[in-house]
Amino acid sequence: MTAISLRAIRKRYPAREPGEGAQELFAGLDLEVQRGEFVAIEGQSGSGKSSLLHISGGLDRSYQGEARVLGHDLAKLSDLALSSLRHLQIGFIFQSFNLLPGLTALENTLLPDYFGDGIPGAGKRAREALARVGLEGKARARPAALSGGERQRVAIARALLAQPPLLLADEPTGNLDAQTGEGVIDLFRELHQGGMTLVIVTHEARVSRAASRVLLLREGRLSAPARDPLQFPEPGAGR
Amino acid sequence: MRPGKLLRLARGNLARELGPLAVSAGGVALGIGCLVFFLALGAGLTGLVHELFPVGTRELEVVVPQLVLLGETKLDDAAVERLRKIPGVAEAYPKLSLKIPAVTRYNGLFFGREIHMGLEVIGVGIAPELVAGEVRMPFADQGEDKPIPVVVSRRLLELYNKVFAPQRGLPTLSDSMLIGFQFPIELGRSYIAAKTLPNAFSSSFQLVGFSDRATFAGVSMPLAVVRRLNEHFGQPGDAYSSVLVRAQSSEQMVQVAAAVRRLGFELDESERNRALQISAAVELVTVGLSLLAALITALAAVNTAQAFYASVRERKREIGVLRAVGATQADVALVLLAEAALTGLAGGVVGIGLARAAGALLDRLSRTGLPDFPFKPATFFHFEPRHMLLGVLVALAAALVGAFFPARAAARLDPAKALTET
Repeated sequence: MTAISLRAIRKRYPAREPGEGAQELFAGLDLEVQRGEFVAIEGQSGSGKSSLLHISGGLDRSYQGEARVLGHDLAKLSDLALSSLRHLQIGFIFQSFNLLPGLTALENTLLPDYFGDGIPGAGKRAREALARVGLEGKARARPAALSGGERQRVAIARALLAQPPLLLADEPTGNLDAQTGEGVIDLFRELHQGGMTLVIVTHEARVSRAASRVLLLREGRLSAPARDPLQFPEPGAGR
Repeated sequence: MRPGKLLRLARGNLARELGPLAVSAGGVALGIGCLVFFLALGAGLTGLVHELFPVGTRELEVVVPQLVLLGETKLDDAAVERLRKIPGVAEAYPKLSLKIPAVTRYNGLFFGREIHMGLEVIGVGIAPELVAGEVRMPFADQGEDKPIPVVVSRRLLELYNKVFAPQRGLPTLSDSMLIGFQFPIELGRSYIAAKTLPNAFSSSFQLVGFSDRATFAGVSMPLAVVRRLNEHFGQPGDAYSSVLVRAQSSEQMVQVAAAVRRLGFELDESERNRALQISAAVELVTVGLSLLAALITALAAVNTAQAFYASVRERKREIGVLRAVGATQADVALVLLAEAALTGLAGGVVGIGLARAAGALLDRLSRTGLPDFPFKPATFFHFEPRHMLLGVLVALAAALVGAFFPARAAARLDPAKALTET
C-alpha cells in the first residue's frame, strides 16, 4: 500500500529580481513511500526539502504533476477535504516548533481538536500524548516557560493527537541539543515500530540512521545517497 | 468549528496581544461611549421637554376657528355631544374661561413671612373629572359663601420656587404645604384696567391640588363655578372656550383630528407644536452628535483593520500551523473574526461604562456648580437599555467590519508560504 506517491512533480518559484528567470525547484520529481516506511530525506539548504514535505502534506498546491497521499489525489480535493485529510490523517512537526504562544502545552496539544468535528476523546488523548513525550507535568505551562526540547515534544504530542497514519517532520531535531534530539529520534523509532509512516526531512545523520530508507534531494530530483547500504536497515524493519 | 472552542482559541490569542488590541478596543470604546452618551443626553432632554410641555399623546384641544365666513360655529353642549360621538373618542371635557377680571391681594403672613402682594388672576373652568385623580380635596362648586376650590399647574409652583421665591426672599413650597391654603380674591376687579365692575365681590380661593392639566398662567376652577361667576356678572353664554378631546388610543388621533376639523372646529396645537419643535431640535442635535460618534466608531473600525492586518502579518506562521493541523480557510477567518468580536464587545462594554461615568460626572457638576433654575432636572441623561444594546451591537459591528478584510486575507494565505516566511 502506497502512503505517498509523487509523480513528475514540477515546481517553479517566480523570479525574485526583475530580469531574472523563474527558478525551477523540481523538474519531474518522483517519490513512492509505502505505508509503514520511515523515510529520511537529506539535502542541502534550499534544495526544496521543505517544499517536498509541504506538497506531500497538501499545504502547497502550486505544482504540476500528480500527488497522491493515502489514496487521495491532492489536486482534486477541495479546501474542506484537504483540511480534513491534514486534520485526521497527517501529522506535521516543524523545526521551529510553531506552538501558539497564548495557549498552554495541553491546549497546544489539543489544537487539532479545535477544528472540524474535533478529535474523539481529545482530552484523554492529549494527556496521553504529553505523557508519551514526558511532559505530563507541564500541561499548564505556556511555550515561553518551556525549553526548546520541551516545545518540540509538545509539537510532537500535537502531531500525534489524532493518531494519524502519516507523520511529516521538517528538521525535527534541528534546534535540539544532542540528548534531547536522541529522545525524539527514539520516539520516531517507536512510532515506526507501531506501524506509522514517517517522512522526515533532515540534515542530521543520526536521524537518517534511524530511518528505513534515506533519499537525497539534489537538483530537483531524489536519489539514494552514496553511502554504505549496510549502514541502514531494510525498509519496514524499524529499529 | 464549534463556538466554544472558537472562543477559547480566540481568547488565548487575544491574551498575548493585549497591547495592540487594547488600542483597537479603546478606539471602539471612545466611539461607543460618545454614541451612548449623546443618545442618553438626547433622551434625557426629550424627557425634560415633555415634562415642561406635557402633551398627551391621545388628547386634542378643540377651539372655535378665529375666522368663520358663513354662519356661526360655537362650542356649546350640542357641539360637545357631537365631539363625543366621533368614532375613536373616549371623552370630551369642555373648558370655560372666566370672562370677568379678578385680582388677589394678600397682606399678612405667608408661611412665616410677612408679605403685601397684589396679582391679576386668570381663571379657567374645567370638568372635575379631568383632575379627579390629582386633587386632594373636593373640587366642585361649594356655593357662593364658600371658598372656591382651585387647581394649579405644577409648572407654576416650579417657577415660584425657582424664580419668584428666591428673588423675593420667600420660602420654597411643596405640594403638601399648599394643599388647603386659602387666599383672598376680588372678583370683578382689575389692577391692569384699573376698574371695578358693578357687582364686584370678595371671596377666597382654596388650593385643592396640583395638575399638569391645570392652566399654566392662572388657576383652574370647577366648570360650574366659572359658569356661575360669568352669569353673576351678566356674561352667561352657552359657548365653551375650548374642549379637551381624549381619543381611545394614540393610533386614532389622526382620524379623530380629521373628524374634528370636518365638524368645523380647529385644534389649538400651540402647546403641542412648541413641544414638538423643541423635541425636533433636540432630536436634530442628538442625530448630529450621534453621527459624530458614528464617525469616531468608523475611524475605530479602520484602526481595528490596521491592527488586525498587522496581527495577520505577525502571525503568518501561526496561521500556517492552524492550516497544517486541519483548519479550513473559513476556520482561520472565523478565529480572526472571533478575536475581533471579543475586542468589539470589550470596547462596547467599556464605552458604555465611560458614557455612564461621564453622565454621572456632568450631573454631579450640574448639581453642585449650576444655579437652581426652574425645571432643573436631577439628571440630564436617560440611559435606556436599547441605547446600551445598540452600543454593544455597533461596537461588535465596527470590530467585525474592521477585521473582515484582514480575516479574509488571513484565510487566503498560502499555508506553505505562511510556514516558511518570517
